[in-house]
Parts: sequence; structure tokens; C-alpha cells
Amino acid sequence: MIRDITLGQYYPGDSWIHRLDARIKIIWTFAYIISLFVIRDFWGYIPVSLTLALIIGVSGVPLKFILKGLKPIFLIIVFTFTINMFMTKGTPLLTLGFLTISREGLYNALFMGSRLVLLIIGSSLLTLATKPINLTDGIEKLLSPAQKIGVPAHELAMMMTIALRFIPTLLEETDKIMKAQMARGADFESGNLINRAKSLIPLLVPLFISAFRIAQDLAMAMEARCYRGGSHRTRMNGMKLKKKDAAASALIVLYLVMIIAQAQGLFHWLIRFL
Amino acid sequence: MNEMIKIDDLVYQYRREDQLEPLYAVNHVSIDVERGSFTVIIGKNGSGKSTLAKNINALLLPSGGAIYVKGYNTADETKLWEIRQAAGMVFQNPDNQLVSTIVEDDVAFGPENLGIEPGEIRQRVDDSLYAVNMYEERKKAPHLLSGGQKQRIAIAGVIAMRPECIILDEPTAMLDPHGRAEVMEIIEKLNREGITILLITHFMDEAARADRVIIMEQGRVTLDGTPEEVYGHAEEIKQLGLDVPFAVDVAHRLRKRGIEIPGSIIRSEEFADYIAERAIKPLSIVKEVRQPNNANTAARTDENPVIEVKNLTHIYSEGMPYESAAIKDISFRIERGSFVGIIGHTGSGKSTLIQHLNGLLKAKSGSIVINDIDITAKDISMREIRRKIGLVFQYPEYQLFEETVHKDVAFGPLNLGLTQEEADNRVVEAIKLVGLNYEEIAQRSPFELSGGQKRRVAIAGVIAMKPQILILDEPTAGLDPKAHADILKMIETIHIAENISILLVSHNMGDVARLADKVLVLDRGQLAMMGTPTEVFSNADRLETLGLGLPPAAELMKALRYRGIEVPHDILKIDSAEEELHLLIQNRK
Repeated sequence: MIRDITLGQYYPGDSWIHRLDARIKIIWTFAYIISLFVIRDFWGYIPVSLTLALIIGVSGVPLKFILKGLKPIFLIIVFTFTINMFMTKGTPLLTLGFLTISREGLYNALFMGSRLVLLIIGSSLLTLATKPINLTDGIEKLLSPAQKIGVPAHELAMMMTIALRFIPTLLEETDKIMKAQMARGADFESGNLINRAKSLIPLLVPLFISAFRIAQDLAMAMEARCYRGGSHRTRMNGMKLKKKDAAASALIVLYLVMIIAQAQGLFHWLIRFL
Repeated sequence: MNEMIKIDDLVYQYRREDQLEPLYAVNHVSIDVERGSFTVIIGKNGSGKSTLAKNINALLLPSGGAIYVKGYNTADETKLWEIRQAAGMVFQNPDNQLVSTIVEDDVAFGPENLGIEPGEIRQRVDDSLYAVNMYEERKKAPHLLSGGQKQRIAIAGVIAMRPECIILDEPTAMLDPHGRAEVMEIIEKLNREGITILLITHFMDEAARADRVIIMEQGRVTLDGTPEEVYGHAEEIKQLGLDVPFAVDVAHRLRKRGIEIPGSIIRSEEFADYIAERAIKPLSIVKEVRQPNNANTAARTDENPVIEVKNLTHIYSEGMPYESAAIKDISFRIERGSFVGIIGHTGSGKSTLIQHLNGLLKAKSGSIVINDIDITAKDISMREIRRKIGLVFQYPEYQLFEETVHKDVAFGPLNLGLTQEEADNRVVEAIKLVGLNYEEIAQRSPFELSGGQKRRVAIAGVIAMKPQILILDEPTAGLDPKAHADILKMIETIHIAENISILLVSHNMGDVARLADKVLVLDRGQLAMMGTPTEVFSNADRLETLGLGLPPAAELMKALRYRGIEVPHDILKIDSAEEELHLLIQNRK
């Protein structure tokens, strides 16, 4: 089950998008998310979708893989869609018993639904096309100015790196403990909810102990390797902005200008003018 | 200043909450480690050797006395980073000391902490990875590497800090023989290149390669000298619950029988040289005089085997592009009441095989019949299988979870549907069988026991289910020699007293040769060899191509054969080796 979630996964590749500086991609994603909320009408999402489609195309991540990422939040999308459809008052289109679908309701449902889908696809693209380690480095770099006001940028990034490093180790550990307890007759699959929750104790207790042991060992190993927090530290792969990053930045600006123009009704004005 | 490390009357004490007296982990120890030397510290678990190592690296600070690294006092906080840079440290668990998700980033971690220029770090990382033969894997994720490879990365991470000394705290304890050999090779190479090595280990054969051996017991140094000097005290070392190398052990036994053997012999190769110079060739008479060791057990066949496996095949990730056959077309039968050794290097399919035997994995094809019941049948109840077959995984103490030892051991029996009373009876019985004192231990938390005790409790948890077959996956992994011997003795007792068939997965050829009456050899998912220990281990060449070694006794015999001395092929244990060598040397007289 854990394997089915593509949200937050990395899709290995070497596309133009993959090679962009992580910081640019993070900023890009933020700009994109903001744009989704700036746009006030459904038609505004057409250029957004086209841009997104273009980026997906360039990144080389299969569309099927991306859509799989929507699965876990499918219910939320349906819920949003339904609520908007029935709860918006306006010109009635269709009446089913006490429920009425209004013209405005349908419009709102489509609008909010697509906003959510675009939001998820766009932000999952960031993790799909960026190595986790680069992502944490990017976050650290972007947050580092905030260190002056007490944001622990380095510590946050370090925590994320360590989490990424030990997720596979802990998954393996979980599998081992589970098998070992099954060999002792433990049953993780049948029974009612309470029994099932109880049956997790023989799994969770050893797992927590393992996690603490790892934490202890790792802390000692890090200290022995002269770790003393973010100060004094240099990086082997310092992040350097390249030409393509500049190009990407220009594209972000262009995108934002386009969105703002659209939101301000400048397009309508332009079309009418022509 | 010729000392790299100067330990001056070191005392380190732990404060124990419930007791007034503190525990002296290190008790007045003075050691000078010379620059460029290779020193090994040996001792049982709890002898204080790890505490000593952590003191050198200033991870712990002395309660009394002082330690100087490169002349810097470890208590001097302003020199902390110089000390840790100069004396790097590698730990036991290969998984728990790598920080990054990419190998080369991990190696860079130390230099990054030291604030080295990025260009220089790159250079050092590449150099270090070449030094441990891991440059090819630099872009990989650590969790995809083998244990030996992970330890080499950990060593590379230390080398990248350009240390003058490396302290290794049981770096090979959790590795298979192949990984251990890889790591030892790197350690010796680094020492030749001038790095001072301080190696803490349980393995005596590793100590034989050093130029100084220090033995610790209860926080004190009991023996200190060259390997030759220290092994001169074989008796004493054994009394401390430690091992001596095989050659030293045999030589010591022969000396007791009045044969003079120089004390400088500590390796099997040297021993073989010594014998070869003195023996008269050929000596084939010897062969006819003596009976093969395992004739009685090997001849036994049973009409209804306890396990019969036919054409067992398992494929991982079937239907995926990266599918791979974990085991292929394996067939064998095991007689009731036998003791079977399963050997093969890591990844040969041993774990996959034993997980099938107790239904944790489902076979792709083939059948497994246990006591006339086909457990691969669809309608079979898992509870029935687990009642019959107990499986003890590697490091079983990591599964303990209950508040008390009693409750933990009762977990299995209760899962089988026994009443509380029946389960309680079985718990008492099982805890006694594993050699622990029920009254003393039953109500204690399993987490406050020693490593060896924890493992016994975990094994008791499986034995309490009263299986007819007990499968143990490396039950002695990571234990010190004393605990290792104790666990094996315990398994033998259970085997005999309860008439349980035992399947022992092991990397230790000596143990397999000594205990098993049948050996299965797996290689790349297939059954490569099967037979009595004599049959299997007499085929040294085949084993070598499979990447497997020989029992130490057979190793010595092979060395003799290589030197033109004819010796029988059925010498696998120390007793028969002693007899054979005695005969050889007497004949020359």
C-alpha cells in the first residue's frame, strides 16, 4: 500500500526540468500555487493547464504516473466537487428531490475541482522531478536568510535528509519484525478494528525501540564526524545557478505577468481591442 | 612525541540510578598507542573496550586520569575538533552511521563539517572512495549496499577527514565472512599506508594480523603484547570466555601432550609449514587406521522424512521488469531428528528458503511436505504450520516487546490458542530450556537484560510453541565468543532433550561441521551441494568457487595437503585434527 502513493515520490530522469536548480523549482512551484488562487474564473485555468502540460511534457514523467498520485486524494476532490455543486445558490438547472443544482453551483464545482487537481499535480511535479536531497538543500538555502530571525533552516534540512535516509531502513525493519511476529503466531490481518489495533503492539514497540537505537547510534556517529550544526559547514556540491536557471526564472516572471494580466481582465480587454 | 594516543590511568564510571556504587566500565587503564601501529583490543561484551574507544574520540570524557590524542588532552574542549579529526571513528552497525541518501554525499559529511573548501572536498571524497574500492557505487543509495560495502563507506567517510588514526569499534561484528574479509583488507591497507589503527573486535583471527593485542576484562587490561606473546596465554584467554585462533588452540593441545611447538605459530599457514618441514612423507597409513567421524549419523535414513521439499521455486516481484528468481527448483528431504546446516553466502536464497518452510512466503511452484502435510496446499491453516515449525530470525532480540520476560515468551503459545495456564507452563519450561533461571528473570523487563540473555529469551519465545522443527537464522550473529558458544550449546541441548529437528543457517563453517549431520549449500537460489559435512567439506575447490570457506580444521588439513602431506578428508573438528597432527609428528620421531 505504501508503495502506491506517488505523492512526494521522485521519478528518476535527466530532463531539463530535472536538472534545474532546486531553488528555482521551489520558487516556481510557489508562484504556480499563488497563481491558482489569484485566478478568479474557470477560463483562466486554461493557460495554466497548458503551461502545466508543457512542463510535464518536458519533464518526461509519464502522465499515468502523475495521475496515480491523485488517487489518495480522490475522495477529497469528489467531496469538494459535490459540496460546491449543491450548496451554491443561483439559477436552478436541475432539481433532484430537495437537492438543487444551480448553474452557478456547477460552475463553482468545476472551478474548485480543477483548482484542486491543478494544485496537486503541480506541486507533486516538484518532488517528482527533483532529487529529495536537492530539495532539502534548496529549502535550506531558501530559508537561510530567515535564520537571522531564528528559523532553524539547517536543522530542518538535516532532519529531512535523515528522514529520507532512514525511511527505507525502517520499512525493512518493519517487514522483518512483522515476519518474526507472524512466525510467533501473530495475526495482523483478521479481527475487528480494536483487535487489529491491539495486534499492532508487537510490531510498534520493537519498531520504536529500533528507531530510538538508530537515533542514538546516528547521533554518536555524527558527533564523531565533527558535526556541530550548520555554522562552519561547507558543502561539496554548492548550489550554483546556471544559464538554464536564469531562463527558467525569466519564464516564471513571464508566467506571473500573464496570470496577473489575465486576472485583471487585461486579456478580455486585449481581445476586444483586436 | 612517538605516541599517537596516550591513555594515562583512565577511569570511566557510569552512574547507576538504583545503586549507590557506580559501575567502573574502565578501571585504571594505561595504554600508549604508537604512531603507525596496528593495535587490537579484545574483550567480552561489557569488558569496557567500547567505552574506552569512545573516550579516545572525546565522545565520553574520563571520570579519572586523562587521554592525549596527538598530545591534545581530550578534556580540552577547544581541541575537540582537532581530536575528532585526527582520530576518526567507525562504529559497529553499518546501517546506523551513514547520514546521507547518496554515498558520495555521505563521505563528504565529515569534511563539510570541518569547513573544507568544496573543490578540496570533491578531491578527498573521490580519493577516499577509491581507497575503499567503492568509487563505482558513489551515486548509489546506502540502503541498497551490502553490509560490508556500507562499512567501507563509513571508513571512507572517516578517511575523507584525513585522520592520522582510525578507531574501529567492532566494525565486522554484523558482517558475513565476505564483508568481513573486505573490511579487514581495507583496514590492513590503510595501516600499511601509515594510518594508526585501533581495532576493537571479538574475532581472534583479526587480532592475529595486528602487531599488538590488548585483552580487556572488567574494565582492566589483563594481557598486552604481540599476538605471539598474548597467545602464549591460551589457557588464560579461554578462561576469560574468549577464543584463540584455531592454530594456537591445536598447538596448545599438542603441547599439553608433550609435543614441542614454538609459540610463534599463530596462523594455520605457519603451522602447516612447521609440520611439513618435520613430517615424513607419505603418511597414508594414518588414513586406514581411523574411522570417518560422521559415518554413524550419515548412514541414517528415515522412511518418512520430517520435511520434504520438491522443486520449490520463488520469484520476487513477479511480472515486474526487475523480477528475479530468489530460489529455483530446490528439492531435498530432511530426516526426523536430524541437525541440518544451511550454508551459502549472503543473497544465495537461504532466508527465502527458510521463510517458505514456515509459510511466511508462498511458493511460486513446487511443494513442501512437513510431517505428511503439504503446507503449500491452499486450505492449510497457518496456525497449524507455525505449531509445527519454529523460526528464529537473525537478531531475534529485536522482536521483544512485552513488559516482562514471562509475557513475552507467552506471546507465541497464546497465539496458538492455548489457555493461560497451559501457556504459563510452557513459558516456565522454555525459559529453563534456554538455560535461564525462571524465578530470577520472569518478572523482569526483557529490555534490561544483557545481549546474550535477550537472545535466549527471544529463542524461548519460539521454543514455547513446541515446534517439531526449529529453524535458526544465524542465532549467534553479533555475539561475543562466550555467548556464541553458550547459544550453540543450548541449541544442542534442545536438539537432544526435546528431539527437535534443527535447521541452522550459519556462516560459521566450524559450527556447521561440528554440529550438523547434513549440510545444504545454496548458491544463487539453487541447491549447489548436499550431503554429510565430510562429503561437503571435502570438496574444498567447489566451495571456494561458491565463495565459501572451510571449517578451520579442514583449512589446516588443506594447507598440509598443499604441502604434499597426505591427510584424510574427514577431519573437520579440532579433536580429530589434534589426533591427526599428533600421529603426524610422532611418526617423524
